[in-house]
Amino acid sequence: MSSDGPRHGGDSDSEEDNFNPAPADMSDDEEETAPRAREEIKDDGESSPVHEPADDDDEDDAQPSNGATKRSTSRAADEDAEDVDGEEEDEEDDDAGVKKNADDEDEDDEEDEEDEDDEDDVHEGHRRKRRRDNRASRLFDIEAEVDDEDEAEDDEKDGEEIEDFIDNAHPDDIADTERLDDDRRHRELDRRREMEASLDAEKQAEILRQRYGNRRPAKGFGDSAVVPKRLLLPSVDDPSIWAVRCKEGKEREVIFSIMKRIEERIGTKDELGVTSAFERGGAQSVMKGYIYVEAQRQNDIMIALDGMLNVYPRTKMLLVEIKDMPDLLRVTKTPNLEPGAWVRLRKPAKHNGDLAQVIDVTENGLEARVRFIPRLDYGARDDPSAMVTADGKRKRPGVPGPRPPQRLFSEAEARKRHSRYIQGNPQTNTWTYNGDDFENGFQVKDIKIQQLIVKDVNPTLEEVTKFASGAEDGTENLDLKALAASLKDSNANVTYLPGDVIEVYEGEQKGVVGKATNVQGDIVTLQVTEGDLAGQTIEVPNKGLRKRFRTGDHVKVIGGSRYRDEVGMVVKIAEDRVTLLTDQSNTEVTVFSKDLREADDIGGQGSLGQYSLLDLVQLDPTTVGCIVKVDRESLVVLDQNGEARQIMPSQITNVLPKRKTAVAADRNGSEIRLDDVVREYGGQQRQGKIIHIHRSFVYLHSNTSRENAGVFVTRSSNVMTIAAKGGRISAPAASGPDLDTMNPALKRNPNGTANMNPPKVFGRDRALGQTVNIRRGAYKGLLGIVKDTTDTHARVELHTKSKIITVPKADLTFKDKHTGRVIDINQRGGGAMSGGRGGGSAGAGSRTPYGGGDWASGSRTPAMSGGTERTPAWGASKGTSHTPAWSRNADVSGSRTPAWGDGSRTVNPYDGSRTAYGGAGGRTPAWSSGAKTPAPDSFGFGSRTPAYAGSGSGGGGGGDTWGSKTPAYGVSAPTPGASGNDTWGYTPGASGASHAYDAPTPGAGLGAPTPGAALNAPTPGAYSAPTPAALNAPTPGGGWQGGWGADTAPTPAAGAPTPGAYYGAPTPGAYGAPETPAAGPRYTDDD
Amino acid sequence: MSENFVAPGQQRYLRACMVCSIVMTSARFREEGCPNCEEFLHLQGSSDQIESCTSQVFEGLISLASPTRSWVAKWQRLDGYVKGIYAIKVSGQLPDDVRTTIEEEYRIQYIP
Repeated sequence: MSSDGPRHGGDSDSEEDNFNPAPADMSDDEEETAPRAREEIKDDGESSPVHEPADDDDEDDAQPSNGATKRSTSRAADEDAEDVDGEEEDEEDDDAGVKKNADDEDEDDEEDEEDEDDEDDVHEGHRRKRRRDNRASRLFDIEAEVDDEDEAEDDEKDGEEIEDFIDNAHPDDIADTERLDDDRRHRELDRRREMEASLDAEKQAEILRQRYGNRRPAKGFGDSAVVPKRLLLPSVDDPSIWAVRCKEGKEREVIFSIMKRIEERIGTKDELGVTSAFERGGAQSVMKGYIYVEAQRQNDIMIALDGMLNVYPRTKMLLVEIKDMPDLLRVTKTPNLEPGAWVRLRKPAKHNGDLAQVIDVTENGLEARVRFIPRLDYGARDDPSAMVTADGKRKRPGVPGPRPPQRLFSEAEARKRHSRYIQGNPQTNTWTYNGDDFENGFQVKDIKIQQLIVKDVNPTLEEVTKFASGAEDGTENLDLKALAASLKDSNANVTYLPGDVIEVYEGEQKGVVGKATNVQGDIVTLQVTEGDLAGQTIEVPNKGLRKRFRTGDHVKVIGGSRYRDEVGMVVKIAEDRVTLLTDQSNTEVTVFSKDLREADDIGGQGSLGQYSLLDLVQLDPTTVGCIVKVDRESLVVLDQNGEARQIMPSQITNVLPKRKTAVAADRNGSEIRLDDVVREYGGQQRQGKIIHIHRSFVYLHSNTSRENAGVFVTRSSNVMTIAAKGGRISAPAASGPDLDTMNPALKRNPNGTANMNPPKVFGRDRALGQTVNIRRGAYKGLLGIVKDTTDTHARVELHTKSKIITVPKADLTFKDKHTGRVIDINQRGGGAMSGGRGGGSAGAGSRTPYGGGDWASGSRTPAMSGGTERTPAWGASKGTSHTPAWSRNADVSGSRTPAWGDGSRTVNPYDGSRTAYGGAGGRTPAWSSGAKTPAPDSFGFGSRTPAYAGSGSGGGGGGDTWGSKTPAYGVSAPTPGASGNDTWGYTPGASGASHAYDAPTPGAGLGAPTPGAALNAPTPGAYSAPTPAALNAPTPGGGWQGGWGADTAPTPAAGAPTPGAYYGAPTPGAYGAPETPAAGPRYTDDD
Repeated sequence: MSENFVAPGQQRYLRACMVCSIVMTSARFREEGCPNCEEFLHLQGSSDQIESCTSQVFEGLISLASPTRSWVAKWQRLDGYVKGIYAIKVSGQLPDDVRTTIEEEYRIQYIP
């Protein structure tokens, strides 16, 4: 170079001329040279086979001119031509073949530099030689190279001032170069001294060349000179990259260790063959645990990493394939934080995970000013945290205990304890407290962006609303856009389920629509349903997917937004935002499609937690309600008073399970159960299906009403059965087993109700075993025995021929099998039984008045009136005494009417019935239970006495039973006669009022003694029985007596099957009681 | 060339040049400036300039031993720079004035 310098002397004018290289065809004229040179290059390239041996030389030959051409072109014509340059270079590369690839750029650079020199250095031969030398031995070339660099450096310096070096500096360049030559050398020396001694010359040269070689074009041509990445793709000549395991989290240290080792050994004989090493660690990186080392040979790495901490080269070392190499260095663009965006805090430990909003980002993008809701305790826990621990150290101010809840800053609170720490401006509502800034209640803080979580923020609406409502004017100024952006990039919680219709909106498969068939991790398998790929199954990462809906789809919001669990119809779709019209409130809401699912349930969510629509729930000990509406957080229940109230789930004590067996009686006394259809009596006559029965209330559901979800509540006594489930007939004409008898009202008046419609017969159908006469139909007039019955029909075995036919019960006339008398089996046994005996007629007579619809009406009062009607009947025996008798009863059990009301009818009747069936055991509790006991007692004595007497006369066994059961009776039992007397004595003693009883009783007593009178005995018995029954029945006494009756019954029953029927009948405690005593003896008689 | 090694305890003071992405401690930046970009960044002795032109936020470290031969260096466009530790990704933005200056005269470091 130095030799070049003088040559050129000062004549810059001749430069172009001098510049012309060896090839003679180069013209002096620069304008001409350019195109020519270009042609030449191309020719060279194409003709290279011809010049094969001289290829390199040709290249070299061409290069200078090429370089010169470039210069001149760019100079003369158009600076943007670098693009063309680039292309030319590419061409060269191609032509020159692969082997040059690695060095190409360097060479180009060199050549560029050399071009400059060449401009001075016209001597082609020298130039060529130098090139060769360069190739042969770089070391030899150093000086020249360095010179180049120096020159370049100078040029650069010029360039710094002149900006575009090539354009402007070129004309003067030579002179400058000349002039500065000496200085340059000195400086170079100085510089080199500064360089690390160990850096060998070649490296240094290379570095310098790289450094400036690279920069120069950049300087000249600006950014566009940057080589596109695709040209930088690794080739086979590049060193390989191995992935080496290392300790997670120690990647950086390892890299530094490698650097250290490299530097230690550089220039020594065991210089490392490693060209570079890098790591891609990081908390979220998938590449942690590895470092990547670039070297020519694997052995280099082994040497380099041998004995190094935290890295394990001896475990498996992976060679990274060439095509994968660029991926190792791929960087993901950090999303730029924009003011308004939502982030989560990581750093102030107290606020870890809290949502914050970016207010501002510093210029260099490294810090952001965020606002968030402070967690302050205003010094409430200051003292403990400031305490000095036992060992004299202050506690670490880490995260002491639970962090205070998020609350907006309150000046008043802060002043309480820390008034001196607080300062600020109430006008602007900005405060400084304990070194923190607060604005409008929010804490405002500058936080480094590495301490912010920017991705997958997923702000919930609750959190966001806190920020919104904190606005000065209280208006909601939600920046939905920012929110959407924050939400958009979080695919984390998007879940696809098989069956979802999914659209690919990103990537190569964009636009494909399919149905998910399988979801595994992030990969969704799609069965494509639309487009060219229809029918195929493809796998796509769930990143570019979104659910697809159509207008009109019925969808449910499954998450993410506050509309969660709303169900509605899609009315509009824009991008991934879906607007839907909710079923429940008919409002339009807009949500992201990822938060939607196709809904298969209709009409909104039917449940809130464990409570679902139409459940019966207990609100307090006395109140129940039926859930008629389920909102997101509340329920509407219809309580038993028909009042709809809104409650929180927490107000519900418990859910009352649906009792399938719950039974109630309607106003007709018919049994009603769940799912029966009933109609209100009176009122609006609403009709509905029973969904709940609770005590005396029934909840009905009607499809015709929309109020309260079609649910209304009423009293069971206020409904009439329309249709019973399963075809139960609730009001058959004949007696049948019907639980209506549970209705105590129906039970009350047994004797009066002889032909009562509602069958109030427990246990066996009384018709069973009865001799009957068929009144209608083909078998009219025939006699038979009832073998089996249903509610309405009886199967009758005909006497005439051995055949069993089914006849409606209504078509039967019951007859006494002995006497042939027509009887009414529904009557009290007494009447029926004694029918022929005369007492029966009396009974019938007395019955008749009762027979009326009084019973049917279910109102007891008529029953009572029946009682009064009876009075005449009684009156025959002792009419006047009745009233006292009644009153006396009233005394005992309270006024009877109330007594009925009180005595839970349900219980007593059951007890009564049970007693009848069950036997002594069951009875006793019946007895003991309730306040009736006294009443029964009084009655009992009265009524029993005759019974007793009867039994006494009938057979001692019966007496024994009695006696055994109740000693008290037992006393009277021993001697029937005596007992009769006793009773007499008793009754008056007990109360004079029992005259009424007296009448029967004596009858009984009289009858009892003499078997002959047995016939008579029943009669009074019958009478007496009814009377107390009538009276007693209402009162538990009835039940009680029934019990007794049952007891006595068994024995006789054995003896007399027929009476058995009666026994069944008596069972209804109501009449049972009176009957039985009477019956007992009678049966005995019969036997 | 001085040691590029940084003891683990000092690593918290590391900063990366936003132009060439070389990683050094801030102390070293202050003493020596950026070995690649000093001529236009003028970091030497200027804490302010260091503060604005280097970043504490960077990811991925490259230990570059041979900038010329390394493909990594080429790919990262570090092949003109000195040996040392570089970052793969540097977050942060240069101040506008510095940036325009550089753009006028040099190519700028892209923050990929």
